[in-house]
Amino acid sequence: MSSELARREGGGAAQPEVGALALALSSLNLRYGPGVVHTGAPPLLQGLATGADSLDGITGCRGLPKGRISRLTGDLSSGAFELGLALAAVVSRSAAVAIVDFSLGLDPGNVEAYGGELDNCWLVRPRHSEEGWAAARALAKAGVALCLLVAQDWSRLTPGAAPAALLTALAEGDCAGLVLGGRLIPAALRERICLELECCRLNWTLAHGDVCGLRLEVQVSRSHLGAPGASCRLQLNFPRPYQLRIGLEAPDELAPGEESAVGLLQVAGGNGW
Amino acid sequence: MNQPNRRTRLACFTFPHLAWVLTLRAHPELQGEPVLLGGQDPGGRQVVLAASPAAWARGVRPGLEWRRAEVLCPLAVRLDVDRTAVAELRRWARLALTSCSPLVEWGDDTSAYVDLAGSDPLRPEESSRAAHCGRALQAALGVPPSVGVGPSRFSAWVAAQLAAPGRVRLVPEGKAAEFLASWPVTALPIPPEVGERLIQFGLRTCGDCAPITLVDLQRQFGPDGILLHRLCRGLDSSRIEPWREPPPCGVRRVLAGGVEDSESLRFGAAELAQGLALELSRQGRAAGRIRLVLLGEDGPRRPSSTDQQVWWGEVAPPTPLATADELLAPLLSLFGRARFLTPVTVVELQAFDLVAPPVSQVGLWQGRAADREVVQRAVDRLHDRFGQGLVWRVEVRPGHPGDVPEERFVWSSR
Repeated sequence: MSSELARREGGGAAQPEVGALALALSSLNLRYGPGVVHTGAPPLLQGLATGADSLDGITGCRGLPKGRISRLTGDLSSGAFELGLALAAVVSRSAAVAIVDFSLGLDPGNVEAYGGELDNCWLVRPRHSEEGWAAARALAKAGVALCLLVAQDWSRLTPGAAPAALLTALAEGDCAGLVLGGRLIPAALRERICLELECCRLNWTLAHGDVCGLRLEVQVSRSHLGAPGASCRLQLNFPRPYQLRIGLEAPDELAPGEESAVGLLQVAGGNGW
Repeated sequence: MNQPNRRTRLACFTFPHLAWVLTLRAHPELQGEPVLLGGQDPGGRQVVLAASPAAWARGVRPGLEWRRAEVLCPLAVRLDVDRTAVAELRRWARLALTSCSPLVEWGDDTSAYVDLAGSDPLRPEESSRAAHCGRALQAALGVPPSVGVGPSRFSAWVAAQLAAPGRVRLVPEGKAAEFLASWPVTALPIPPEVGERLIQFGLRTCGDCAPITLVDLQRQFGPDGILLHRLCRGLDSSRIEPWREPPPCGVRRVLAGGVEDSESLRFGAAELAQGLALELSRQGRAAGRIRLVLLGEDGPRRPSSTDQQVWWGEVAPPTPLATADELLAPLLSLFGRARFLTPVTVVELQAFDLVAPPVSQVGLWQGRAADREVVQRAVDRLHDRFGQGLVWRVEVRPGHPGDVPEERFVWSSR
């Protein structure tokens, strides 16, 4: 009898705990994305390859995490915006890319200049922020590989529930989300960013007396996938309207361990640069 | 719930008796001849059910005893009414009107009423809506109906009587009394003795009776005076008894409680779309047009189920819809357009213009082509929901047309 009482007592006490734990886990997964809380080893989150091995190496999932929101941030002229466009161009060569331009000032020619395929790019120009978020969700669910969200001021463009809904759509469509622009972002969006990469300009790259690119350092400032702090250096070559032997010049200027992220890809892309 | 602010406009459709329409189909040579179409009434008597215009001119009316009709029109052709064929034709005619509006009341096989209130973005004007319904009815009957539009049943019926077949006559808004001023009192739906007394008083038209106060009319004619007062001023009932038949394909959901905002209904949109997609897949059809009907609660003073407040809207996508994903976007756009007259308790999603589903297979092409097709369909749904100009594809414009992106690229929404 005593064992029966003990079993009942134990069972009665453990049942609410299990329910509360399940509720807490489900709310966390709903808020921060599926699999954010896990038991044992962290889940193998697939990454969307950026084409630059050094950049892929610091993200923790070999690229931009699929089903999550990433962010490129940095001061003015730090190269964060250009790097985001270059990454979109890289992805567009092999998969569909959705570019949600809340700022309504993005020039698709920049993506093309970085070697991207405009045929794979879907440019969203929303008249209202709700349209932009809805389009991002729909395209993410439809299976675009990268959903690039561009805005100058996120505070006026972020309805409370929109980032959470986008996160769910990204997970459903196995799509990587990338946020560009805006130094300050609201908490509703910030707390759902899985990976934040901060860009810092090291110096400009000159060729023929003209600025043809910049060297930048990319550092993981916030990550749900591992410890922050990892960094890498990249050579970002601006698209130029004339022939420039970037692929030959840039590696000589790079220190060991650095990589010409975009210029190298441009040469590999075979577009004649 | 009563709505004093709701502007009611009714369309009345008058047409030859369905039995006469069928008779002319079978015997076109009887056009212009006096014809009596008879049958047994519920009491077992042989009576006239319908008559041709020539017989009508000789005083034959529906319900008249057969022998009296033969006396009035001895040279008339006598035929029996095929009630089964009439019922079938009535069903087709009602379906034709219901495909245009869910608020249809069928009359005595010579008239029908349609409430023109509701959402039809393709036809914002009531005349175009009435004409649309008239064309649908003509397609079902084979003869053009006369159409009248007015604020009440009687004014709409009078307008239909004055309209030529195939034409629409409108009663100007707020001028029903002026419109009815010349209508004779003997043609009012009142007892004949009341009409005779009005003639004796020298009141021959509605315009003569309109200035008389309600108290005086009631003192003279009792309850008929109230009716007379309303008819002459165009204030008679504007409510119709909608005829409701399950649509060819549709789903219906009864909500647990009244819902007053579209956001709450949007949560159930996916389930509604899935239900209709399942029904469509069972029939192996695709919807060329879908209709959302929101039924509200009954008002406290009108317990009848026919007094339910209704909002409905339709959308006709460019391609037929068969799957839940395809149905969801237009359904969400319909929810966005919905106007809530009262708390909604019943939601219906109906499919019309059923056709064979489009031959497409998303996964047919491998690799990027398949992805592109799926993305393109998502973009199409976005355009259906938010309009063109949201999602763009750009293509380099040949030459050097300019510096700004709008000049350097060809922007297309597909």
